[in-house]
Amino acid sequence: MSLQKGFMPKLIIDNIAVEVAEGVTVLEAAQSVGIHIPHFCWHPALGKAGACRVCAVKMVDGPVKGIQMSCMLPAQDGMVVSTTDQEAMAMRRQVIEWLMINHPHDCPVCDEGGECQLQDYTIAGGHGLRSYTGKKRTHINQYLGPHIEHEMNRCIQCYRCVRFYQEFAGGTDFGVMGSAGRIYYGRVEGGQLESPFSGNLVDICPTGVFTDKTARFRARYWDYDMAPSVCPHCSLGCNTVPAARYRELLKIVARRNDAVNGWFICDKGRFTNSVVNDPARPRYPLVDGRKVGWDEALDNLLLRIREFGAVHGPESLAIVGSSRLAMEAATLLYRLFAGIAAGSLCYFTLEEEADQARAAITHLNDATSASMGDVQEADLIALVDCDLLQDGPMMALAVRQAWRKGAKIFLVENDVAPEAQKGLPFEWQSVSLLSDIPIREARKPVIICGRGKGMQDVAPALTSGVKLAYLLGGPNAFGAALLSAGHGATTLAQAVASGKVKGILAVEVDIPPELLQGISFIAALDWRATAIVKAAHIVLPTTAWVEMDGTYINNEGRAQRFKKVMHPGLPIMGLDPAGHPPRRHETAPPGGEPRPAWQVVADIIERTGTERDVQPLSGQWQWLRHLDAESPGQRIWQNMKQVK
Amino acid sequence: MFDPIDIAITLGKILLVFMVIMTMAAYLVLAERKLLGYIQDRIGPNRVGPFGIWQPLADAIKLFTKEDFKPAGADKWLFYLAPAMAAIPAIMIFAVIPFGAPLTLFGRQVTMQVSDLNVGLLLFVAFSSIAVYGVALGGWASNSKYALLGSIRGLAQLISYEISMGLSLVPVVMLARSFQLSEIVGAQEGCWFIVYQPLAFIIFMISILAECKRVPFDIPEAEGEIVAGYHTEYSGMRFSLFFVGEYINIVVLGGLAATFFLGGWHGPFLPPVLWFFIKVLAVAFLFIWIRGTLPRMRYDQLMMFCWKVLTPLALLNILATAWFILLKG
Amino acid sequence: MSVINDTKAIVIGMWTTWKHIFRRPVTLQYPEEKRIPYPRYRARIVLTRDPDGGERCVACYLCSAACPVDCISMQSAATEEGRRYALWFRINFSRCIFCGLCAEACPTMAIQMTPDFEICNRDIMNLVYEKEDLLIDGCGKSPEYNFYHHAGIGVTQRRGAGLEEKPPVDVRSLMP
Ligand code: SF4
Ligand code: SF4
Ligand code: SF4
Ligand code: SF4
Repeated sequence: MSLQKGFMPKLIIDNIAVEVAEGVTVLEAAQSVGIHIPHFCWHPALGKAGACRVCAVKMVDGPVKGIQMSCMLPAQDGMVVSTTDQEAMAMRRQVIEWLMINHPHDCPVCDEGGECQLQDYTIAGGHGLRSYTGKKRTHINQYLGPHIEHEMNRCIQCYRCVRFYQEFAGGTDFGVMGSAGRIYYGRVEGGQLESPFSGNLVDICPTGVFTDKTARFRARYWDYDMAPSVCPHCSLGCNTVPAARYRELLKIVARRNDAVNGWFICDKGRFTNSVVNDPARPRYPLVDGRKVGWDEALDNLLLRIREFGAVHGPESLAIVGSSRLAMEAATLLYRLFAGIAAGSLCYFTLEEEADQARAAITHLNDATSASMGDVQEADLIALVDCDLLQDGPMMALAVRQAWRKGAKIFLVENDVAPEAQKGLPFEWQSVSLLSDIPIREARKPVIICGRGKGMQDVAPALTSGVKLAYLLGGPNAFGAALLSAGHGATTLAQAVASGKVKGILAVEVDIPPELLQGISFIAALDWRATAIVKAAHIVLPTTAWVEMDGTYINNEGRAQRFKKVMHPGLPIMGLDPAGHPPRRHETAPPGGEPRPAWQVVADIIERTGTERDVQPLSGQWQWLRHLDAESPGQRIWQNMKQVK
Repeated sequence: MFDPIDIAITLGKILLVFMVIMTMAAYLVLAERKLLGYIQDRIGPNRVGPFGIWQPLADAIKLFTKEDFKPAGADKWLFYLAPAMAAIPAIMIFAVIPFGAPLTLFGRQVTMQVSDLNVGLLLFVAFSSIAVYGVALGGWASNSKYALLGSIRGLAQLISYEISMGLSLVPVVMLARSFQLSEIVGAQEGCWFIVYQPLAFIIFMISILAECKRVPFDIPEAEGEIVAGYHTEYSGMRFSLFFVGEYINIVVLGGLAATFFLGGWHGPFLPPVLWFFIKVLAVAFLFIWIRGTLPRMRYDQLMMFCWKVLTPLALLNILATAWFILLKG
Repeated sequence: MSVINDTKAIVIGMWTTWKHIFRRPVTLQYPEEKRIPYPRYRARIVLTRDPDGGERCVACYLCSAACPVDCISMQSAATEEGRRYALWFRINFSRCIFCGLCAEACPTMAIQMTPDFEICNRDIMNLVYEKEDLLIDGCGKSPEYNFYHHAGIGVTQRRGAGLEEKPPVDVRSLMP
């Protein structure tokens, strides 16, 4: 057995020859050729613990022999492994039976049921009848806040939760305590979990100890409407799988994307479902507060725009998009702008956000843009004006992983409120200037620029090899900045300041009230009940991101596709006073009027008569149409020669 | 030359025969359902009238009031024509069947036969060939795969078994020395041909079973394989023409079996017409009984049986009969 | 010889059916005469209660998953005490094929089949049964079974007080 670098051990698993890198475990080696070895405690992001004993395999020949734990054993040259050996199978079966000794008999009332690893392996192992005659140990549960339900009786002591919470995410208020059969995973005193990543306990626990309280007792895995999606709550674009049932978004779980969020997502992304289910969401087209059909609303809108143009001149109308508007609609805005000869086209409302996004598209390119995967691998990280936990919590988790591997973290002092740095899951050094940081000495340095007011220009620090990451305003801020630059758009603040804006067509945008003074006509497309929707004369309801297919370009210039998860409509829950769904046959769900924003914009363009059959993503954006939602996304530079 | 009374008598006979055959066919349906019921330890139709005797009436009302449906893409005229092609030739055959001894009414000789053709047997063979068109056109015009499959099967089956049926009748003609059905009946006054020709009788019975597409030879309609075969797409009256046509066929072929082999209307004690009916009903009973007993044959078995067993046997039988007649002088 | 054998087979068959013509029919004239089905007959479905009078159904969705024609739908919810129950529970009997797979799947013995098969109706909506139509005041089969006594997570009794359970452990104890 040789230990020199680059040596690749060769072994044979179930008669398949495998060659893996040094240090890879037998379990991973097996996975690399598609052999699944059962495991509870091992997790690709957390590594091994050797706690559950269910990954037993038989070493038939080689340096070690007999039954071994495949997650603990590094692959070595000459190993011959059998996963199907009688002895190994018997061992795994027995392990499952031991794990079930204290496990309650409550799958029917357990929210994990149907998506439970323990359930799957118990059934796979054939353990159906209890041969242990003793009694089961029980625990008292803790209140862990409004998001997570605790049921300690179901624990199988795999240690995944503590390893994630403490080691991976840097939480300090949750841990393992007790000894022997009394092992307990919880807080010292009940109370809300403090980590902004606590929701991942739900995903990571292989049993039903931690379940999503917001979706408690709502549906089963096999009934969910699910599709690959992207989180819309910040600019990082973490990959998710939202789960819906009966027109209600029930929960969101993380979807693996090693370049972006890894295996996890933050609590903001996970537990912000209620806006989608809100019955008070804009659900019907409204004209002066009156419910109307789509045709009437659109005709009315065109009529009002014409009237408005006759009075104030068409150039006093501003078409406003935002950084939360998906690419599909955003690319159509310019065509609408041209079609109705409006005066201003804005992709951003405030100057600051636009500036920063402009900086991002200027400085980033395929070589300099740091993905969160790159951040985890960095050996030096400079944080400039960051409020990480507010503007991109998963970035903080990525920085922590780098820090755990020994990276130096520097924080450039600035006027971001000091309390923003509280709770960051890593240690850092404060410096007063970016130039104080020994960037040149690092092999893989990364500078992360936040959204702080005093954002310094990082250009002087840019030398070859330095990577950059920006925390932007919204999930599609990068795309909005590209379009804004390409079409020479201004910000709404500027347009209003010039004094010529008298009317606003707001497309999924939040506009502060001070910018609305002196505006005589507002039409709003949105799926949230924002202030501008309430003030608008014409409201056109659009679908939330889970109700349509769309594309966001995240902070590093990665275009990612999200798919339609559910149909828009009022949730069935609470529709009928009798408690059950209505006993009527209908062809369309109540409140199912919302349409994707791009479709509404396309309808308006078609009605202006300038174009017909308007499709989103044309011209230089055509390549986005073929983006695969299951893929890790594509950076724009690989697909667009000249980003304009 | 045309005596108006003759014409009136002929028309009367036609009407009589037509009414009797239709009634018999309708009640044969009921009889079959009842009998199959008993064979399967059930009661059969028993809700419409005592013992269900009004069932045929109820069926007729139902069939008349059903939607007359034509599948999209069907060949309209052929689709409408086919059921008639199936039922009418069967009734026509009855024209040549003598169903009783000639009567003398008011000094006139009245034959109990619509028309005593001298080539009656050939007419029967010809008309039974025409009936093939009902199956072929019905299946083809429906523009449906099951119907087409059914009609292909039906064509092959009907044409094949026509040959064995025709050959089995040759000895009868040889014995009677006539194609005229009244003379064939007359030739059996002393002894029924079944006695001389048991083999021909068996071949004939099997062949006519196949000719009316009855179990075990019902592969053209084979429910469970090809839905209802050539009449899958038919509904209402048009379907019932196919359906009733099958039972008319039973009556007619029963009459022919009686005529060719069972001595026609000859019989002791009872009046000749009654004898004739008894024989027809016996054949019908046999058909129903067979249906209640045997399973459906496979297509290849069916063809093999016809071409490799029945046809050679019938030919041999002809040779044997010829030899026998030669010897007897 | 096969001809003889085949002929014999046909004759035996014909003889058998001949004999049956004269047998007594087994037919029962249904609406006038009624047959009492066996207790395990699979017809109209009910939801039963446990011996303490609580709804047995915990809205676990197993029956709806097992149902081959997807005619069961429900929404689970929790009571104040944390007991899981069906907020609504609907069986569309116009779709049900009375296969009994739901009853077989039910882990709490809640959903059970009864011998009442006469539920024909002229209005198909009357065949859509809601929970109040399905729930009966009794245990049906397995009258002694109470799922929550075995479940091991409290709810109907103190935690650790169910059958086959030890009282909750004291995490802070240092005893070996
Ligand atoms: S954790 Fe899994 S095995 Fe345990 S009760 Fe829940 S679903 Fe069943
Ligand atoms: S709570 Fe879940 S993750 Fe933690 S040790 Fe128990 S089973 Fe494992
Ligand atoms: S009996 Fe069968 S079809 Fe009917 S509800 Fe139960 S599972 Fe569904
Ligand atoms: S299987 Fe039983 S407990 Fe579960 S939902 Fe159906 S009836 Fe209720």
